[in-house]
Amino acid sequence: MSAETVQTIIDDLGALLLFTMIVIVAAGQIYRAIYAVAAQSLLIAIAGGVLAAATGNTDLWVIAGVTLGVKAIVLPWTLHWVVRRMNVRREVEPVIPVAATLALAVVVVVMSFHLSASLGSVQPAITGNALPVGIALTLLGVLVMATRKTALTQMVGLFASENGIFFTAMAVTQGMPLIIEIGVILDVILAALVMAIMVLRVRSTVDADIADLAELRG
Amino acid sequence: MAETLLWVLPLVPTVTALLMLTTRDRRLLSTIDVGGSAILFALTLVLVREVAAGGPRRLGVLRADDLGLVFLLLLVVLTLAVSIYTVGWLGQAVAVGNMRAESLRSYFALVHAFVATMVVTVLADNLGVLWIAMEGTTITSAVLVGYHGHRHGLEAAWKYIIVTTIGISFGLFGTVLVYAAAAQAGAGAMSWSAIMPVAATLDPGIVRIGFIFVMVGYGTKAGLAPMHLWLPDAHSQAPTPVSALLSGVLIKCALLGIIRFQTIAAAACGPAFPAEVLLVFGLTSVVVATPFILAQHDVKRLLGYHSVEHVGIVALGLGFGGAVGTYGALLHVVNHGVTKALAFFAAGTAIARYGTRDMRAIRGLLGVAPITATLLMLAALSLAGLPPFSIFVSELLVLRAGIGQRHWVAIAIFLAMVVVILAGLLHHVGAMAYGKPPAAAGREPEAWSPLLGMMLLAAIMVLLGLVLPASFDGMLRRATEIVVAG
Repeated sequence: MSAETVQTIIDDLGALLLFTMIVIVAAGQIYRAIYAVAAQSLLIAIAGGVLAAATGNTDLWVIAGVTLGVKAIVLPWTLHWVVRRMNVRREVEPVIPVAATLALAVVVVVMSFHLSASLGSVQPAITGNALPVGIALTLLGVLVMATRKTALTQMVGLFASENGIFFTAMAVTQGMPLIIEIGVILDVILAALVMAIMVLRVRSTVDADIADLAELRG
Repeated sequence: MAETLLWVLPLVPTVTALLMLTTRDRRLLSTIDVGGSAILFALTLVLVREVAAGGPRRLGVLRADDLGLVFLLLLVVLTLAVSIYTVGWLGQAVAVGNMRAESLRSYFALVHAFVATMVVTVLADNLGVLWIAMEGTTITSAVLVGYHGHRHGLEAAWKYIIVTTIGISFGLFGTVLVYAAAAQAGAGAMSWSAIMPVAATLDPGIVRIGFIFVMVGYGTKAGLAPMHLWLPDAHSQAPTPVSALLSGVLIKCALLGIIRFQTIAAAACGPAFPAEVLLVFGLTSVVVATPFILAQHDVKRLLGYHSVEHVGIVALGLGFGGAVGTYGALLHVVNHGVTKALAFFAAGTAIARYGTRDMRAIRGLLGVAPITATLLMLAALSLAGLPPFSIFVSELLVLRAGIGQRHWVAIAIFLAMVVVILAGLLHHVGAMAYGKPPAAAGREPEAWSPLLGMMLLAAIMVLLGLVLPASFDGMLRRATEIVVAG
């Protein structure tokens, strides 16, 4: 593949990634957000595969495979399982209206592109529009976490945020050292596990959403 | 020898944690606990001696230099003190039902796993490993924060794990950016020691953005305002020995991460840029913490907010910079760690006596538990920054650095806040120590093990205020050189 083809593919994938992110921000139902984050991880795995084929970096194949297995299949499945187990009656429960969150999301995306455009001199070394997309995904994930009251939606936001970092790492540095990426993914799995246990524990003991507890103040 | 120690050190708490899982006997668990911490402490002393004699050592992704060793030393001293304190604390906690006797082994295993992740954090040379270990500390300690299992604990644990995980995602993003800049400059590896020689040639634009992400990320973990919102909850709801580790060491480990990136950023963009960022966060922390300290009724939350203030002071010291400011900041890391752990221990004992954490209900501690009360007073006097205690010395150094750099506004705000906090803290602690104790307060004789743990820390606190041992001073000087000279 020529460098331009790769660039075009990565740019297209970036656009799709932003689209899935907007779906997550706009999602009114928790299931929709989970499917969107799974699709997003799949796109990142594809991006990893494309970069691996283009650069001949075998580590990237491994990273793409692990991303596919863990972030596109295992983690969304775990979230799905917790949702069923909890028998969620409430849905996403935004703190501010979804429309307002979407407006904020647009601002974040524009800001991200503006920010990386200011880095004129380093742009050539970085694959296409990967950097602004990565920054936008990371920040939008945080936005989702900050504007949702249910624990599971906050976890979806966290995974989306991690996806943004992974995309940036792949596109900007052609992958961090393999061992580091594996370690990072391991941390994400462990954190998700601990969070899922906490959510279920609170649900079973006080029958409330853990993210909704607000008794510690001052 | 020293290279071997580098991989043995993280292994010691790991093995200790695994050993815990083999037994249920409380006496045996406590023995393993104290034994493991003592071995870790002894091995660290050997490593410190070797590095002082032969310079920094490196093994794979781990590296021991004087900068990391300052933090490692603080970590192992507090771990040992915590282990000793836990012996007696546990007896009381099990008796009143705060800890369930059948799940103790998982508690001990988690504490040592937590210590293991912190050991890797301070020894990490590879910036990716630094991040992985830092997230590891979040995961292990989040479970510990919610260990009591009541709803307040779980609420605090959730807030802690979510906020710090978002926070350090930013840290990872910053790490990726700095690594990208380093790869472009031909560093070839992700390790700090490989990036530093080429740091001056890194692209300043990308390092600047990277440093801001890292500052927000690790700053969240360090409890710098305005990212500190999880800290008072987590530090107050955790079991007392864990609170001491969280406030005493963990937030300092995050500061070490910031310092590592500060040196890279200072070389790439000039020292003024990271210094300014540190000053802004430092001042914000000192100012934001003050009203909450004054208005607080929960003694452990008070200590939590107080940690926000002191992390702010360390950031100020690093921001004022120069040899004096950096030396003062590093000394303050050690002083505050030791003193804050002592304060948490004493507060924990007081809480156990009165059955409440509301300071309005804790009265006449001097009559109930005179030695603990005296130690609490000493810790409070030190935390307030009074001579002859150690914190006075390091705060003075930070102040001196600020005057040297002519940051008059920052100094004025800093001094005003320190005076207000001094008054607030002494008022709170004075009210707890004096007065007439309620009839319900426990008056049994004080247990030896918590006292021993506290005495150990109090001795260090007083010693560091009066004289600085030459070997420790040399270590701090060499560590300062690493930060200042890059």
